[in-house]
Amino acid sequence: MTEATATALHDAVAALVTWQLAAPVATLVAVGLPALLGRPLAERTTTRLVGAGFATSFLAALLTLAALAARGFSPEVVHLGTLFSVGHHATTIELVADGLSVPYVCFCTGLCWLVNAFAGTYLHREPGFTRFFILLALFGTGMNLMVLAGSIDVLFAGWEFLGISSTLLIGFFHERRNAVGAALRAFITYRLCDMGLLIAGVVVHRAVGSGDFERLFGGTWPHATCLIDPTTALVVALLLVFAALGKSAQVPFSGWLPQAMEGPTPSSAIFYGALSIHAGAYVLLRCEAVLDAAPVAGWLLVAIGIGTALHAAVVGSVQTDLKSMLAYASMTQAGIILAEIGLGLRIVPLVHVVSHAILRSLQILRSPSALHDRHELAAALGGPPGSGTCSILGLLPDRFGRGLYRIALERGFEDAAVQRFVIRPVLSLLEGAQAAESRLVAALGGTDPAADPRRPDRDGGAT
Amino acid sequence: MLPDEDSLAQMIASAGRLLPPQGPIDAFVAQNVLQGFEHLPFDEAVIQAARLHGAQAFLPETFYRGELDRGRIHAADLDAVLKTDLGERHGLSLAGGRIRLGDLQRTLLIHGVRHESDAAVRWTLTENDVLAGDTNGDLWHACVEASSRSRPSIVHLQPPLRHRDLILALDPTLDTDALVHPLLIRMTAAYLDQGVASWPMPDRQQGLLAAVAELYSGRIGPLPSWCSALPERLRTIRGRAAADVIREELEALGVPATSWPEFIPLTLLALRGWAGMVRQFAERPDRAPVEAVPARLADFLALRLVLDRLAIEHAARRLKFRAAPTSNGAEAPLAAFWMELRDRHPPRRGAGGLARAFLLLQVARLVGLSAADILALDDNELVELELGIAAFDSLARRRIFHLAYERRHAIGVLDGLAAQASLPAEGRGGRPRVQTIFCIDDRCESFRRHLEEFASDVDTFGTAGFFAVAMYYRGLDDWHAIPLCPIVVRPQHTVTEAPAAESLASHRLRQTVRRSLGRLRGGMATGSRTLFRGGLLTSIGGAVAAVPLVARVAFPRLTTLVAGGAAEFTRRRVRTSLDLWRTTDVHLPDGTRPGFDADEMAAIVRRLLHDIGLTTGFARLVAVIGHGSTSLNNPHESGYDCGACGGGRGGPNARAFALMANDPDVRVRLAADGLVIPADTVFLGGMQDTCTSRVTWYDVERLPPTHRGDFEAFRVDCATAGGLDAQERCRRFDSVPLDVSPADALRRVQGRAGDLAQVRPEYGHASTAVCIVGRRERTRGLFLDRRAFLTSYDPTADADLAILERTLASVAPVVSGISLCYLFSRIDPLVYGAGTKLPHNITGLIGVMDGHASDLRTGLPLQGVEIHEPVRLLMVIDATSEAIRTVLERLPAVRTLVANGWIRLAAWDPHGGGLATYEPSAAGGGFVPYVPESPTLPTVARSADWFRGRRDHLPLARIEPQDRIGGAMFQEVSP
Repeated sequence: MTEATATALHDAVAALVTWQLAAPVATLVAVGLPALLGRPLAERTTTRLVGAGFATSFLAALLTLAALAARGFSPEVVHLGTLFSVGHHATTIELVADGLSVPYVCFCTGLCWLVNAFAGTYLHREPGFTRFFILLALFGTGMNLMVLAGSIDVLFAGWEFLGISSTLLIGFFHERRNAVGAALRAFITYRLCDMGLLIAGVVVHRAVGSGDFERLFGGTWPHATCLIDPTTALVVALLLVFAALGKSAQVPFSGWLPQAMEGPTPSSAIFYGALSIHAGAYVLLRCEAVLDAAPVAGWLLVAIGIGTALHAAVVGSVQTDLKSMLAYASMTQAGIILAEIGLGLRIVPLVHVVSHAILRSLQILRSPSALHDRHELAAALGGPPGSGTCSILGLLPDRFGRGLYRIALERGFEDAAVQRFVIRPVLSLLEGAQAAESRLVAALGGTDPAADPRRPDRDGGAT
Repeated sequence: MLPDEDSLAQMIASAGRLLPPQGPIDAFVAQNVLQGFEHLPFDEAVIQAARLHGAQAFLPETFYRGELDRGRIHAADLDAVLKTDLGERHGLSLAGGRIRLGDLQRTLLIHGVRHESDAAVRWTLTENDVLAGDTNGDLWHACVEASSRSRPSIVHLQPPLRHRDLILALDPTLDTDALVHPLLIRMTAAYLDQGVASWPMPDRQQGLLAAVAELYSGRIGPLPSWCSALPERLRTIRGRAAADVIREELEALGVPATSWPEFIPLTLLALRGWAGMVRQFAERPDRAPVEAVPARLADFLALRLVLDRLAIEHAARRLKFRAAPTSNGAEAPLAAFWMELRDRHPPRRGAGGLARAFLLLQVARLVGLSAADILALDDNELVELELGIAAFDSLARRRIFHLAYERRHAIGVLDGLAAQASLPAEGRGGRPRVQTIFCIDDRCESFRRHLEEFASDVDTFGTAGFFAVAMYYRGLDDWHAIPLCPIVVRPQHTVTEAPAAESLASHRLRQTVRRSLGRLRGGMATGSRTLFRGGLLTSIGGAVAAVPLVARVAFPRLTTLVAGGAAEFTRRRVRTSLDLWRTTDVHLPDGTRPGFDADEMAAIVRRLLHDIGLTTGFARLVAVIGHGSTSLNNPHESGYDCGACGGGRGGPNARAFALMANDPDVRVRLAADGLVIPADTVFLGGMQDTCTSRVTWYDVERLPPTHRGDFEAFRVDCATAGGLDAQERCRRFDSVPLDVSPADALRRVQGRAGDLAQVRPEYGHASTAVCIVGRRERTRGLFLDRRAFLTSYDPTADADLAILERTLASVAPVVSGISLCYLFSRIDPLVYGAGTKLPHNITGLIGVMDGHASDLRTGLPLQGVEIHEPVRLLMVIDATSEAIRTVLERLPAVRTLVANGWIRLAAWDPHGGGLATYEPSAAGGGFVPYVPESPTLPTVARSADWFRGRRDHLPLARIEPQDRIGGAMFQEVSP
């Protein structure tokens, strides 16, 4: 390969990678701006625009993949700009196209494209039609940003877009109390776990003077090596694991997932069956070199993953509504996938993620047709389909069985525990602080600002 | 004195009647949501029910005012309704004779006034120019002075009964239902589940209360703080009767026994969907989809009260309620809490002085009262005027609007019928080429009309779509027999579809393939949710799942076509026959008998032919066509099937009927009774899919060679009619362009049926408004816009009115149920309807919830009723008013519906006379001759000329084909 062709190829790949990110951003603006000005586009135009964004992004990713494959998947770093630099320290905006990110973009944008087509029909005449597609474009932007991220800062930005679009879609039907409660619950969980990623970013910056993955790992994925010292690597790895627990709904942060099924079916499919739920896994795969350098974090991940899988499998087997059942089914697999990553596997969890996402999103999209499908299945089988395979749990001795059933029905007491051991102490602390403050103010100024009889709701977070 | 066991049971039972009547969703039958109120007049009932359910009684005022603006309601309608409604009080003079009550109300209806609070009035006065034109502010000052003279109205309202509402009024952040419901929903859902959970709840056979008591009395894990005492409480309950628990809890809650009859229904209605489903399981265990668990409403109520008390105790602690210490030192009783809550309930104030002055100002301007006029009013006159304004509040106005809205609809229909009747009857000599018998369903109206339009030698009839064949039916692909007849009938016969001898081999092959595919699919579905198998399946199964995902989502129409075609192809390879003729005398295990004997068949055929008035002049081919509907993404799918088949498909009934009518033994028996069917008349069964607009035929191979030609020609006719029918249906879908061609329309409706994303596969009965019982000759050529049930009935052959009696007895409850289900679901989609489909989540295979934990949503989804015009069904009967009166006397249930106005009724004199409407309030039997408003009907050459380019409901029109060229003009449709 001559140098000229190499440069041309390099430029082409850079352009393609930029387009993968620019396309959803462009549609976000094209659909969002008219809506902001009070003149939302027609339904068909909206769907087509957002669809075109995902489609071109998907095609660009395919072409990039071909180009990368042609030169053996050596990573291609696209430098978009520098936010600031001081001495040897810099915060840059970088994308990376390699054997992990580009196939993953193909998969994400392809799935988004499909769900976009589905939602165009599904949300026809819905008052929040435009809002849905704006959020879908926002999600696409966040996803591509996160997947293509070449530095931990960009990764964090994408991760946050993902969180906010997920929250807003759970609360899509904002006139319903349950939906808003569930959205808030997810948001709080996300924010708590986001701290992991944020602090990890700070630690990485401190350690290598930049957030760039180039300075963090050497070599090509999945055989990269970690360039920071083992202690820092352990800290970063633990923080990343913590961050992943929230988005991937792992114990003890899993309670929000079944509640998140409040939004329209297509968003439930793409978020909690397919992409958002695996965001944690992707970040860990991206930073696998750090995990390799910190076996303790890996073992912790295995333990949490297996624990989650067991928890979700048992709890899922008593769920009586389809979406909760599917939420726990997703959680089970997300747990297994994290355990696989913790065990040091790379390609297996990647294949598992993609495969599981496709299967599960199809199941969620089909869930409103479940009665129809069941009738068909009964006709084909010549009898009602057997209720399942967890019946082994029903064979437990009575006393023990009842106890376990109750634990499962109460979703592992996770909600009650969070309410009792987290929400209540925090609220009491805040109430105490408020009372102290008002006493102080009263002592200083003579008036009592806390005379308002309405106190914060202790149970608000859990309901 | 506490109520005894019996009176408590009665209270629960009567509370149960207020709950939604909807059973498990896989046999959705449209019923009147307010069944428990049918003993009351309609408008009184909706207002009472709205108060009880917290629902809307009518649509919002802005809707009606919009309809007034666009001419859907005329001012004359308001006048007429006000005149009837007010009676003598219409002329009551107010304000010292300056205005009459009727005029005041009319003005308020047409112009509307704004009801503002004092603060809002103050703001309006300072910010807006409302007093413009009132140069010196004289009128305003007069109004202020007047309102200061009269006393502010005091609204004496009973505080609410339920603790939850009382507590919420004191502390808006403290909602005890929000605490109780998630837990109660989880428990009830687990109890009623029909097979979603792979691990069923233990101890279900002991009842809900016992099962929960057993499960939750152990000490495991932390419970939310409000119910940490639950295990303790449940331990004391174990083994006790629900009635005992209810009594104890109500007493502990401090609700006096005199209030129980009101308190119990309110408590149940707080989670009405689940409570109603518990009741359905208790009353109709035979309708449980898989397993009839012994559900009892008393159990549910007891459990609910136990949880309620815990939540209320929690609220009492939060509100710092201190109970007076009791003499025996028992734990803090809540009894006094209820009283205290009721005492502390904030009273509601009436409108303040400024608000009343502002209202008076608006009215004075509208009716032309000057400042001097107002000042001249004495105290009594002032109070009367203010009362006249205040009593005509939003609810009263909406009621009048609604009645006017319905009146205009009735005039449109009755005028059309009158105009049609005045036209010379179109005599057509000779024998018809084909006669068809359809279901009365409003969706069949357009199909019949199109067929008649281009094939003038085809006659159509309508009858309840089970064709008098009540049976349990097990089709070739069914794993068990299902009843195909109205839900009130219990069939005595079972009919099975069996593969014909020559296709046994292909049947076995097909079955084997289907079973293996089914096992694979079922295995994937359940396996992917488990731990170990799921891990394997999901890591490799994605590649397999990608194919259906991409196909179904990206190419829904093509996939439907291919998948449907493949299924159809394999199905067609297997010829089948019905085991219709009884060969043995044994009874089946379920008590029914296999098949029918010749006498039974003859009785069925005779009854149906007499019902529809087809006893002479048979055509060579008589097609009997049932209907059903296929759609995906539609938990309410069964609601779109045939109501007369209890939410099943009427095809097998049509097929059975045709076989019976062709049977030589049956014909001999009929001939003996004087019903002679010519030897060259052949009956043929078929089924129309109302979602795909396609007709499939049964037993075509049994047709005699002489009739092949007749059938082939008619099959083409039906395919053409199907295209036109699809085109007419498509005009209602916003997503289909208005200029769609019949061929394209067919492709579109077929694509919709198999589209996973499509939430509106068809609009079902939406827009239904009329039921015509009578001869088709009288309505033939009338464009009824798919809004009319058409029941064939020949009054000239019914001397003793026996036919009208049995027709009304079966038709009236069904059609009124459908119309009222749509009406209420449209009027309040959140309370009576199921709300938007988008967040629906199938639960326990019995219903849908919104999201992960809500009440069961009953009624119809918003997407199914959005185009519905909520008017009560107008039933027009081709009979004299005397005949109808006689028949109603024999049918008390129908009489109640009619007399209380749940159905609007009109008589259409069969001897060329005019129409007469039934007015419940009118003296002397209630029929009042109808005087048409406009005697003409718009006339067009064919239906498409009338409906093309228009989305909305259409008025009646006359279709008069100009030049019949036998379908040549419809060549664009390929059969």
